Amino acid sequence: MNAPLPKRIWQWFTRTRVGRSIFRIGLPESNLERSQVMVSSFLLHVQPAKVNRHSLRASYSLGLGLISLYLFLILIVTGVLLMFYYVPSTEKAYDIMKDLQYVVSAGLVIRNMHRWAAHLMVLFVLLHMCRVFYTGAYKRPREFNWVLGVGLFLLTLGLSFTGYLLPWDQLAFWAITVGTNIAGYAPIIGPKLKYLLLGGNVVGQEALTRFYALHVIVLPAVAFFMVAIHLWRVRKDGGLSRPDEPGDIVQQVELKQLPTNKTYGLMELARGTTPQVGKNPEDEVFSWPHLVFRELLLFLLVTAVVLFLAIFWNAPLEELANPIHPPNPAKAPWYFLGLQELVSYSAFWGGVVVPGLLVAALMLLPYLDRQRQGVGRWFARERVVANTIFTVCLVTAIVLTIIGTSFRGPNWGWVVPWEQPPAITEGH
Amino acid sequence: MNHSPSNKDNQNVSRRSFFQLTLGWLASTFAVTAAAAGAVRFLVPNVLYEPSLRFKAGKPDDYPDGSVTFMEAERVFLVRQGNTFRCLSAICTHLGCTVNRADHGYHCPCHGSVFNDQGNVVSGPAPRGLEWFQVTLSKDDRLVVDKNQRVAADKYLVL
Repeated sequence: MNAPLPKRIWQWFTRTRVGRSIFRIGLPESNLERSQVMVSSFLLHVQPAKVNRHSLRASYSLGLGLISLYLFLILIVTGVLLMFYYVPSTEKAYDIMKDLQYVVSAGLVIRNMHRWAAHLMVLFVLLHMCRVFYTGAYKRPREFNWVLGVGLFLLTLGLSFTGYLLPWDQLAFWAITVGTNIAGYAPIIGPKLKYLLLGGNVVGQEALTRFYALHVIVLPAVAFFMVAIHLWRVRKDGGLSRPDEPGDIVQQVELKQLPTNKTYGLMELARGTTPQVGKNPEDEVFSWPHLVFRELLLFLLVTAVVLFLAIFWNAPLEELANPIHPPNPAKAPWYFLGLQELVSYSAFWGGVVVPGLLVAALMLLPYLDRQRQGVGRWFARERVVANTIFTVCLVTAIVLTIIGTSFRGPNWGWVVPWEQPPAITEGH
Repeated sequence: MNHSPSNKDNQNVSRRSFFQLTLGWLASTFAVTAAAAGAVRFLVPNVLYEPSLRFKAGKPDDYPDGSVTFMEAERVFLVRQGNTFRCLSAICTHLGCTVNRADHGYHCPCHGSVFNDQGNVVSGPAPRGLEWFQVTLSKDDRLVVDKNQRVAADKYLVL
């Protein structure tokens, strides 16, 4: 009985009648129990009982998908807390932001966490997409999960954009004015879409109400279910991609060739790759504790980083929204600044055509690139063409974003960030 | 040899099941379409609580000769030259920012479009010049601007 006290209390509790009714398996002591604990728990059963060693390698996945998921969870918790104070009214919203900053206990930190987690989520979803691309992990049988992932990336941007309006400050008002006008350039449906989105012709109370509904229920609910399907498919497509994967070894059961006067067990009908198929047992370790422990550690790390950022840096809040005076320069959120830079050349080409084609290309990618080689390795030599094209697009987007962020000053004129910006001359 | 049950069904579809299927599909397609159309129509507002597009702009003598006056609530410029009055939209045709009056013309701070005194694009991404709105005189001698009525730049209200 050298176990530490908390563990002894836990072991005692899970042996009681009540404890056993809740947890079924206590802390697993044997390999059998290590499998059972994964299968019998609702929260753990999404994951396999045993996991391939390659999937655990931090240098392969970098944990980017998990980090995105954790940020999403932090956003849900902090977002729900903020909802207890926030009112989507043009008259009250801004005052409530001030209250959250100066009056509500821990209000500042919770708003900061929400804001930084949102920025980080955009960043990490993008990084996750880059990881999946550079390791060729979108190839068969994972094509559709890549498409879902692109959808989740767009949802992340949509969530961030709708949340941007809610503080009802200058930043909010003008970012949404610019953003919805870009939507207005879409062919045929553009003006109607803008009217529908704003609930009128200008950014006002109706727009705030609509963005609020989208931000707190519509988009999070859609994102939640898509995340669930995304994770489910990771499991069903055989776990994370690996270099030595059996590939398409699926012996697809031809259902119609089976006699129909016989009863079948599920294992006879299931198809597709599972982590076990054609695998060496030596390549696999038990998810408990190897996977679960790492996931918990990563969760703590992500929460700690977000909390650290929230304590030391405040989320920006500009002056009250003023439809008369756009701030000069009026800038969208950083992840849209590449888009805004494009839009400054042409709203139609930069705001509609280029992003539209980019999204279409991303969605179709796994169906266009059918080469089977180079899966499960970073920067595989067989994929040099695909990787080059992707890198060029990525670098272009990063350069445009940096230009929009740092090299654009008053009147969207060119400025050099390390020099004093010219004084803003106001008209009227 | 194909023993799939679906194939067997196709070979002898009775008149009854043909009608049942057709009607069923038609009815469910109609129901889904109608529900979707109703939901979208629900989201299109029928009443707008926005400033009226037609408004009174005060007495002509409120505006000195040669002045360009910015009207905040309506986001327009009232331009007087001699006895002529015109009204210019202050909303950039590019992405809807409010333009600033500069020494010569108008500047949009968001993406750097520049317009001249006639509202025409000098430089920048704006696809069209700023809009001119109709100015009339009411019976009680007040200027009336109607933002529903777009006019050419050389249309003046002459008093």
